[in-house]
Amino acid sequence: MTDLRKLNIDGTEYEVPADYTLMQACEEYGGAEIPRFCYHERLSVAGNCRMCLVEWVGAPKPQASCALQVKDMRPNRDGTPANIRTNTEVVKKAREGVMEFLLINHPLDCPICDQGGECDLQDQAMGYGRDATRFEENKRAVDDKHMGPLVNTVMTRCIQCTRCVRFITEVAGVQEIGLVNRGENAEITTYLEKSLTSEMSGNVIDLCPVGALTSKPYAFNARPWELDKVDSIDVMDAVGCNIRVDSRRDAVLRILPVTNDDVNEEWISDKTRFVWDGLARQRLDRPFIRKDGKLQPANWDEALAVVAEKLSADPSRIAAIAGDLCDAESMKALKDLMDSLGVRNIDCRQDGSLIGEGPRQSYLFNTTISGIEDADAILLIGTNPRHEAPLINTRIRKTWIDGNLEIGLIGEAADLTYTVDHVGTSAADVATFAKSKSGFAKTFKAAKNPVIIVGAAALRGEAGLALLEAIGQLAKSVNLVRDDFNGFNVLHSAASRVGGLDMGFIPGEGGLATDAILDAAQQGAIETVYLMGADELDTSKLKDAFVIYQGHHGDNGAHVADVILPGAAYTEKSGLYVNMEGRVQLSSRAVAPKGEAKEDWAIIRALSAKMNRVLPYDSLEALRVKLMDDCPSFLSIDSAPSLEAFDPTTLGKAGELSTDMLKNPIADFYMTNPIARASNVMAECSAVIAGLNPELNEAAE
Amino acid sequence: MADLLRDEDRIFKNLYGLHDWKLDGARQRGAWEGTAAMLGQGRDWIIDQVKASGLRGRGGAGFPTGLKWSFMPKEVGNRPHYLVVNADESEPGTCKDREMMRHDPHLLIEGCLVASFAMQANACYIYLRGEYVLERNRLQAAIDEAYAAGLVGKNACGSGFDFDIYMHHGAGAYICGEETALLESLEGKKGQPRLKPPFPANAGLYGCPTTVNNVESIAVVPTILRKGADWFSSFGRDNNKGTKVFSISGHVNRPCNVEEAMSIPMKQLLEHHAGGVRGGWDNLKCVIPGGSSVPLLPKEICDTVLMDFDALREHQSGLGTAAVIVMDQSTDVVKAIARLSYFYKHESCGQCTPCREGTGWMWRVMERMVVGNAKTSEIDMLLDVTKQIEGHTICALGDAAAWPIQGLIRHFRPEIEERINLYRNDKPVFVQAAE
Amino acid sequence: MHSHMNRLSGVGPLDFIKRLFTWWNGSTLGTLLQIRSKAVQVGEDEYGNRYFESEKLRYDGRNRRYVLYSDYAEASKVPPVWNGWLHHTYDELPSEIDIKVHGWQGSHVPNMTGTPFAYKPKGSLDRGGVRDAVASDYEAWSPGE
Repeated sequence: MTDLRKLNIDGTEYEVPADYTLMQACEEYGGAEIPRFCYHERLSVAGNCRMCLVEWVGAPKPQASCALQVKDMRPNRDGTPANIRTNTEVVKKAREGVMEFLLINHPLDCPICDQGGECDLQDQAMGYGRDATRFEENKRAVDDKHMGPLVNTVMTRCIQCTRCVRFITEVAGVQEIGLVNRGENAEITTYLEKSLTSEMSGNVIDLCPVGALTSKPYAFNARPWELDKVDSIDVMDAVGCNIRVDSRRDAVLRILPVTNDDVNEEWISDKTRFVWDGLARQRLDRPFIRKDGKLQPANWDEALAVVAEKLSADPSRIAAIAGDLCDAESMKALKDLMDSLGVRNIDCRQDGSLIGEGPRQSYLFNTTISGIEDADAILLIGTNPRHEAPLINTRIRKTWIDGNLEIGLIGEAADLTYTVDHVGTSAADVATFAKSKSGFAKTFKAAKNPVIIVGAAALRGEAGLALLEAIGQLAKSVNLVRDDFNGFNVLHSAASRVGGLDMGFIPGEGGLATDAILDAAQQGAIETVYLMGADELDTSKLKDAFVIYQGHHGDNGAHVADVILPGAAYTEKSGLYVNMEGRVQLSSRAVAPKGEAKEDWAIIRALSAKMNRVLPYDSLEALRVKLMDDCPSFLSIDSAPSLEAFDPTTLGKAGELSTDMLKNPIADFYMTNPIARASNVMAECSAVIAGLNPELNEAAE
Repeated sequence: MADLLRDEDRIFKNLYGLHDWKLDGARQRGAWEGTAAMLGQGRDWIIDQVKASGLRGRGGAGFPTGLKWSFMPKEVGNRPHYLVVNADESEPGTCKDREMMRHDPHLLIEGCLVASFAMQANACYIYLRGEYVLERNRLQAAIDEAYAAGLVGKNACGSGFDFDIYMHHGAGAYICGEETALLESLEGKKGQPRLKPPFPANAGLYGCPTTVNNVESIAVVPTILRKGADWFSSFGRDNNKGTKVFSISGHVNRPCNVEEAMSIPMKQLLEHHAGGVRGGWDNLKCVIPGGSSVPLLPKEICDTVLMDFDALREHQSGLGTAAVIVMDQSTDVVKAIARLSYFYKHESCGQCTPCREGTGWMWRVMERMVVGNAKTSEIDMLLDVTKQIEGHTICALGDAAAWPIQGLIRHFRPEIEERINLYRNDKPVFVQAAE
Repeated sequence: MHSHMNRLSGVGPLDFIKRLFTWWNGSTLGTLLQIRSKAVQVGEDEYGNRYFESEKLRYDGRNRRYVLYSDYAEASKVPPVWNGWLHHTYDELPSEIDIKVHGWQGSHVPNMTGTPFAYKPKGSLDRGGVRDAVASDYEAWSPGE
């Protein structure tokens, strides 16, 4: 039962939860609008901008509503609830005063400022400021700071709200931005003019209420009102961050986060945010056919004819592999086509793992992302969530920083921005951990809601199944799969993976999985391989096979292809993606595919017509209906699957546990997929932050 | 004329350093006498006595000390209690704590023990101003003596109460005299005031219940307990009880620190203890009665005003730290206040907007007004800017920066206007630095 | 540059008729008569435009100043210095004041809009239609073999 207190807001009495701040109370109950700069829901309260002052009738001075809690409000002497006023002359004067102070040293260079049009300072100056200044002295100027390849700084515009400092310290978990000096000489700085090394650093651009921190790649590219804004889903990892794609004509110009408390709160990683320049490079914009050993431009008819002919061969000598960025519809269309051809060698797990046969819970992130906040002990196995799923990592850090959470790691050590008990490195250590009774193992076993997070990469091959079996035993012994809680989690890093597993895009009866397909192709047993956006595999084994590559970027797959069918990138098509929790989300099309490229499902539909095996859908909607009919888990969009207990001992297959180090799969966070590899910005980040080019790290002298 | 304070009623008997400051000398003057018995009377008795004495905080705000102590949780929960002594005496004009720590350090240490006992704080921190090096050495020596004599430390004074006392040397920022900024600084962070609530009594040093008191507030407590609350409250008017150390500086013949009863008329204080205003009482121009952050008072008010919290408040000024800064007719009062504005601009921590941006603005306008390079309408604008800062900031530094200017405009507006007119008529005033 | 303007006003009887009915081929007769009767010629620039100044002062206490264009009447034909004189920026005639001509200054060119010499930005079809890259361009992959 919430503790409710009576509060009089602007003359009306409300019952308000005691732990609300005055600002929340006034906005949610009183319907008032409280201006603010420094306050942000997901950061600690600084209370230093003084814009949110409200009047507490009887108090000697106005109060900062962001910092004062309802429970701190004394009732009046006669016992009536405290009176809060948000619309009196006192409040108006206070806001005008603060606004004037903020503007006296602000350059007012809105016409050349990238924040113009979406600037809190502009909006609030219009809403709460005076019409003119009375300041006749010289304005202060501040040296710009170097914050790396992503964040552009114009520090004269800074109003010292310290949102960026609090974000970088609290959420990103690196102490790289701070406020130095005092009084009017106070400056936000990176201390040593070094690049920010956090993979979450781009969020300070959104947080900055003025134009002090803006996006470097987007600098001077567009005005916000020129952009078409489309809500969509990110595919850089398996978190399924909600994003907004801003485009002008045919170009994606920036990507911003959309708030979704269950998934990404309101953050996105730098890769998600800045990968867009890769969408305009290395694009496959026309079909190609290899003639005389060389890829030659062709038209769709020719290309599809060649593919149709190749696919008409013996189905046991044909294979299809779906990549990491595919939407569910195109995978479904490819699976339907392959099924109708009788091809059983299909796989969506291009990383070579063999999971996905059992119940759905056996490969999901069952605790759910927001469920991490209920955990009191987490065991990470063979994963570096900071690189594989940055938003999961921030969730863990958020829970950790609130206290009451201990984290252990079996695998390769890494800086995860929180304290980790490194209890082992190999699969065999999982069994040792299960027996151990001291240290973190003791904490883990005594925990109320223990959570195991195993990286999908650790589950590759037969060894992975053995590890999974050991984890299942451990899960059973600490009883972390219950009716009211499920602490077993697989952390995927590919956006398409869960969707593919859900629809059964895995080898059929007697079919081959990815590694076997590659080996068979090398030996000549498989003659034709259909790669749908699959680039993260050993393409050297495909030299002798006939490779059909359908995708949007000229990357590993395209280089070995014999036919290229140009498809659409994730901003260029509407599609369903299933994130690691099993949450189905719908993305939208922001721009058109480049050149002659088509949406992927339509390519396969056209191919099926060419082969006289017409797939039973003529539109994306019909395809979705078919998908939902065949695979009911796609029916509920935007919600994580409900809790359902399963027997974790059925996981995997007993086998010998390896003593090899469980290596982190991602060597370079900024280079994990074809789009990122095509991006100049990602290349620069990779060079600067991975330290490959230390000169870039220093500010230009 | 009221009676002056008799010597035997003085608490700080070695204020001028004429006697031995060490433990033996302090004992001869009465310090550490019956401390164990005081502690034996119990916590509630101590707090009740302090309440009954009417002691108000000597650091500037004048909050009743006993009441402040009673805000501490009654029982120690899972968080320890702390006493923090604010010895970051940086207010321009104020130099009373310095003399106490130099010459009577044992009174302070004894006070720390008694106050900590009353609040069940097993540890006490003294946050000392960065520039106070001699004071630091003396105080540390005195603490070492007290430890050696078993007066503090384990089983302090044989009371069974364990008490540790630590000294922390600040880095010399004015803002660290604000209690929450002091706590931040003590924790090793940047000295910036915290938001209140939560108040330190609830979440102070390291998030634990903490009381922050001025040196003088703490140092007078043992004597109050020895001589009785009635004795202390026999001085001064109602609500303004006790004795107080006044720091008199400026244009007087003998600047000094002097302990005197509260509510003494200002004229009497200056004439008797400081040898009068330079050039006679009629040569007085104005007085800042309580350290740089309170508004000044012109001579007409000074003629009759009493030196206590309420009387000065009636005249829209304040007792503050009781640092009386006297200015005679030779003073360029505009320049003097402009210098104070510079001080506040320099010492603003930069955390919250009105103070960060406003102090610099006020100082720049004040500097122009010193020579008269302004418009008469700007006087009202400046007054409005001070009102925009006052009460809108996290801590009181914004108020402190605004009040001197408000006082100046309230009492000396014609002087500013005249200067502006002279400047406009090509007869600018050439100003020397205020002395 | 000026030659193409001159073709608009030929020499001969047609020229006289043009002058009679159009104002853009030199001055009309009325203008010519008025200027001639009220003002005296004070100078001529390098393009043949003639400048006149009235002797009578205007209501504002200044002389009235005129220009008669050579051939086609076009205000931008007046070079900067004479323009300054016409608009009373200078009281003195250009010949009477020392106007410094900098090395970087080009010779005066009238407004070329509407003529074949008009400015054409990069990317204009008249200039081959080759423009700088813009944001919506993309770089296509090509097999690097």
